[in-house]
Amino acid sequence: MKKRFLNIVAGCLMLASCQKLDIPPVDILTDDQIFGSEAGINAYLAQVYRKLPIEDFTYRPDGRNDGAGNVGFNLHHEWEHFYCEAAADGEMVGPYGGVDIAGGFGYWPYRDIRDVNYFIETLPTYAKNFPPDKVTSLLGEAHFLRAYYYFALAKRYGGIPIVKNVQHYPQQTIEELQVPRNTEEEVWNFIGDDLDTAYQMCAETNVAERANKYAAMALKSRAMVYAGSIARYGSQTFVDGDARSQGLVGISADKAAGFYQKSVDAAKTLEGKYSLYRAKPDKTDNYVGIFLDAKSPENILIRSFYAGDPERNHSFDATYSPNSDMNYMTAGGLSRTYPTLEFVQNFNSFDFVTNADGTPKRFNSQAEMAQGLEPRLRATVYFPGDVLRGVPFDVQAGIYPSFSGTAADEVAKPTGTRSFILSGDHTTLRNGRLIIGKAGMYPPAFGNDNNTRTGFYVRKYIDPTKSISAVNLFTSTTPWIELRYAEVLLNRAEADIELNQTTDALKCINDIRDRAGAPLATAADMTVATYRNERAKELAFENHYWWDIKRWRLADKLLNNTHFHGLMPYYVESEGKYIFLKELELFNRNYYFDKKFYYEQMPGGELATNPNLYPNNPGY
Amino acid sequence: MKLKSFKILSLGVSLLFFASSCVKMDTYAGPDASLNGNVIEDGSKNNVQTCSGNFSIRLEQLSWDSVPVPQDIPVKSDGTFQNTKLFSGHYRVSIHGGAFWPVAPEEMDISSGSTHDFKLTPYLFVNNFKAELTDSTTLRLTYTLEAPVQGIPKILEITPYLNTTQIVGPNNSIYDYSDLLKVPINKDWSEFNDADKNGELIISNLVPGRIFYVRVGVKFDNNDKSSNLSNVIKITVPGK
Repeated sequence: MKKRFLNIVAGCLMLASCQKLDIPPVDILTDDQIFGSEAGINAYLAQVYRKLPIEDFTYRPDGRNDGAGNVGFNLHHEWEHFYCEAAADGEMVGPYGGVDIAGGFGYWPYRDIRDVNYFIETLPTYAKNFPPDKVTSLLGEAHFLRAYYYFALAKRYGGIPIVKNVQHYPQQTIEELQVPRNTEEEVWNFIGDDLDTAYQMCAETNVAERANKYAAMALKSRAMVYAGSIARYGSQTFVDGDARSQGLVGISADKAAGFYQKSVDAAKTLEGKYSLYRAKPDKTDNYVGIFLDAKSPENILIRSFYAGDPERNHSFDATYSPNSDMNYMTAGGLSRTYPTLEFVQNFNSFDFVTNADGTPKRFNSQAEMAQGLEPRLRATVYFPGDVLRGVPFDVQAGIYPSFSGTAADEVAKPTGTRSFILSGDHTTLRNGRLIIGKAGMYPPAFGNDNNTRTGFYVRKYIDPTKSISAVNLFTSTTPWIELRYAEVLLNRAEADIELNQTTDALKCINDIRDRAGAPLATAADMTVATYRNERAKELAFENHYWWDIKRWRLADKLLNNTHFHGLMPYYVESEGKYIFLKELELFNRNYYFDKKFYYEQMPGGELATNPNLYPNNPGY
Repeated sequence: MKLKSFKILSLGVSLLFFASSCVKMDTYAGPDASLNGNVIEDGSKNNVQTCSGNFSIRLEQLSWDSVPVPQDIPVKSDGTFQNTKLFSGHYRVSIHGGAFWPVAPEEMDISSGSTHDFKLTPYLFVNNFKAELTDSTTLRLTYTLEAPVQGIPKILEITPYLNTTQIVGPNNSIYDYSDLLKVPINKDWSEFNDADKNGELIISNLVPGRIFYVRVGVKFDNNDKSSNLSNVIKITVPGK
């Protein structure tokens, strides 16, 4: 009897506990928690922004895997910022052996796109928690984010599957989930439409790291000028294949004008809302400030970096200044990527380092050479003799006991027959003078590239206010400017020139040139070559040029077994003067761009799971 | 003691289970098939002039998948190709890249010892290739270009290729004696005059006392910017 009673009690207890089994899980956030408050929404969107494929300081175009689930973008504990696009596209020479980034890394962010689609589908059911205009602007922001992901896909692969809704498995069949590729034209139009939606729905303002309605139009001006140039120039230079004949890559040339006009229209919506940074009277100082002054009226969307834990800092300052193993200009880290003479010559021919008779011009100091150059160039590149953190960029390739003859004859001689004195270290003296400078340069093919290989260093984004001891790995927090107004003006000028609307283009180009301290252009200058040159100068090292020479279909011509050059400073002992010789960069590397690289191949793993992604892009 | 022997016994039994599970084999045949062959010039019946990395043979195993992942066999510098680790099956075989008039893909069964020769027509023949030392370190190359079929892609550049081995061509050459000396052309074949068709290239400042291998290549603005190549000539530069 007693035993039966105990059984009944135990049974009751079990039933009672069973009722509580269906509780909300405590280890994951539920929709109610996320969509119940603005704090929850902010947390959700923070992780979407965090994964956004922004090509910032830490972006690794060769697809480095950080072991924590990130490849290429948004890497954890990444410091080797010299592995950048500019190091493979000819703006600079760097650690890459050539054009090592063209294969891509199989970027395929549909999981992240799903997060955005989920947000778009779920937020309306929780709309009662927020004021109606807040719901509208959040949904607008989500459309911006979705467009941003699709833009990153389209510029790599051309046509990819457009997935606008959250997919469900196993409710949907495998066949339904194997979404085929859309045509490239459809994808660019989809991006444009999403950004139009974002523009209509987003608020006027937002915090600096999140998109407002103008960020949507800025991105649209970029995306549409990409699409226009792919239609126009991709119809002239292309690789044949099934993907092309089906429209999965390539856009017919007659669509170019429409895309270009959309770019102009989008860019014009920012007029009066943003302006170029002109806070400082000195043009060089001012140009440096664009990238360091958080109050710049030019910033449309930035990505911030923070000190402390969790780690959200970068190492740009420590990896673009010479360390030379002797803490020369930084307290740690090393540099490996250097602007080329070809890039610097976008501004000026640099004929002035040579006299009319072909002999090298003599300078009293290293610094004298760069006097009088365009302020924007001085603010983009550190020249020999420039000073940072109290020490000079002491760049000297070697010493000539005496020098006679022309620069061209000297450079053409086999290395062994030249009379210069070189050195592999920064302490060797000759007659009381260092043979090579503390900031470079080593002898050709020396094997170490922690000093400049071209005579130049990067200045853009370098913070000059930090002391040497404060510049080390993981100590930089300078924000990355993802969208700035100068780019919008350049998008607009490019589209204008392609549409033969030269008056409007001239206004944009001269706004930029005036701020840069460059000579103003005239209507006759409004050519394709001008907008390309202006864009290369203004947006240097900002991860634009790689995509620009691809969409202009110029990469296979510019990177055609190309070897890049530097401007090497030598001290002429007998005269006590400096000369500068244009020579091959020290590693003399070969850059070759295969025509098929205009599109990356579809990721192999995705082809295996979704046969509807075939045909692969041409040439693969 | 009894417990210890039981432990050893149970260990032995479990090891036996492990071992027996390892013995399980799949039922697929290994990659025991092979394909080799030659790529032959349609007219001369000689193997085509090519170099490593210039073009390849593309295999798609249709018996495995309707949209198979392609695999490529590089064509070697002597115009032959070979892969001895293929799976038996039905394949589509085609030419991938190269400066040749396209040939239709062929479907064939590949098994052990399969052979297949391709017949190709180059865009251009680089004929009468001669290389002579005009002084001790200067090399003069002469050649004649001939288009067997009209309507070829635009010619981008003509380049001498010089290397220290017989493996010489685009991507296998000494930059200073090769790519640095390339002659940009950017013309259609119809614009070529007699002087263009009977070309000359000079390579100077060769290193004395060395043996070099040299040829001439004509690069086209086709899909893979590939080249037609001359035959290879061995050059001995006299020592000092």
